[in-house]
Amino acid sequence: MPRIALRVSPADNVVTLLDFHQHERVTQDGLSLTSEIPFGHKAALCAIREGEAIIKYGVPIGVATRSISTGEHVHVHNCR
Amino acid sequence: MSTTVDEDGPNFQGFRRADGRVGVRNHLALVSTVALANRVVELAASRYDASRPAGDDRVLLIRGEFQRGLQSTDAQLQDDIVFRLITHPNVGAAVVLCHDRAAARIWRERLAVLGNAIQVLAFMDAHGVERMIERTVKVLSEQAEFVRTQRRSSCPWSSLTFALECGGSDASSAVCVNPAVGRFVDHAVACGVRVIVSETAEFIGGESVVRQQSVSDEIAQSILARIEVTESRMAANGDRYRGVNPTAENIEAGLTTLVEKTMGALCKIGSARFKSCLDFGQPPAGAGLHFMDTPFFSPCSITGMVAAGAQVTLFSMGVFNPSGNPLSPTIKICGNPETVSHWRDGIDVALVDLIEGRISLDSAGDLIYKAVQQVSEGRRTYTEAWGDGQFIIPRGLPAF
Repeated sequence: MPRIALRVSPADNVVTLLDFHQHERVTQDGLSLTSEIPFGHKAALCAIREGEAIIKYGVPIGVATRSISTGEHVHVHNCR
Repeated sequence: MSTTVDEDGPNFQGFRRADGRVGVRNHLALVSTVALANRVVELAASRYDASRPAGDDRVLLIRGEFQRGLQSTDAQLQDDIVFRLITHPNVGAAVVLCHDRAAARIWRERLAVLGNAIQVLAFMDAHGVERMIERTVKVLSEQAEFVRTQRRSSCPWSSLTFALECGGSDASSAVCVNPAVGRFVDHAVACGVRVIVSETAEFIGGESVVRQQSVSDEIAQSILARIEVTESRMAANGDRYRGVNPTAENIEAGLTTLVEKTMGALCKIGSARFKSCLDFGQPPAGAGLHFMDTPFFSPCSITGMVAAGAQVTLFSMGVFNPSGNPLSPTIKICGNPETVSHWRDGIDVALVDLIEGRISLDSAGDLIYKAVQQVSEGRRTYTEAWGDGQFIIPRGLPAF
């Protein structure tokens, strides 16, 4: 079963995972996740370079503190 | 989005009032202007309701911890808010109970100029509690005659004001329900509706959004100043907000930054721009989005927006919250599948299909639109069915 991931605004470079099937690694839109990502957490939709903005709701919610690859979990370890 | 449209935009069947405003309900209201009269209005309402004619709605009680001896700014605010609730467009007729004759005289004079169907009584005019109840029930019966003569007619959506609220927030409300409400707000604003969003503390961390989504720098600065005042009051009280938010619990739930947390609530406003910064209960001047400076406790913030004339309240939730407003039908919107299955008797719009990926945000916005149309034309919300909701007026200073 593919994971449910929601992109709020077309400008977003992250999606939010909205189910509890953490062992699954592909979203319903075909994004391959690089790790288990819990409910409510985010995954990168594209490669994001260090210093680039993390966009959610169409606004910058933070900055990448290191480079992030497509499908990677985006959270406090790589975003501030 | 589909509805009846003519040259004035979409329409709904509402109650036109003498002052040109439009109601979505036609309540017979029984108001206590001071807490001393609360018990009598409760007793009178239940006695009236028990013998009311079939087909009539229950009396709508408007009462709160309304006090005497407040300092001037608080006394003025309480007075203004009670006045705006009595004269709210969802009220078809009202009976107002004051404690003493002097207060009744003042309220009678203030309310007479409006030409609305309002009767003012003084508790001290009666000789006995039982007589006061009987008198109140009798006047309610007279006022009900007037309520029954009023009919719905076609009114433009542009006569509506909506209050936006959220409570029991979680990831489902932040990324599903609130963005769907945002889509609805974009559409409503395009129809010429007034939309009010409040809870100043929830804007801490959302300053960039206020700057980007205000019609002018002046409006942005006035809103930012209110946020700053709230944050410094918290600091003076020893509460640090910025720096400790998101909390460890928020981080565990997936929230990475304060802006992300704040945006979960702020995305209710869609892409609309703030047209003004309002005081508690102050009516908005024109179509579009308006910010109101209020405390964050939802029964209190909703009271402010309803006093400002909001006829309908949209309330998004993650986990359940029973809050609503008796005067303004409160539409509960929820996408969390667990909450929706456990609280079937409390949720008006279920957006589980959105969270489970079966419908788009635009379709979810359309579902909200349809619910608002139906509720505005008389469909009862769950908070109305349960008779839930409170009137709470904030206070800045200790009473004398």
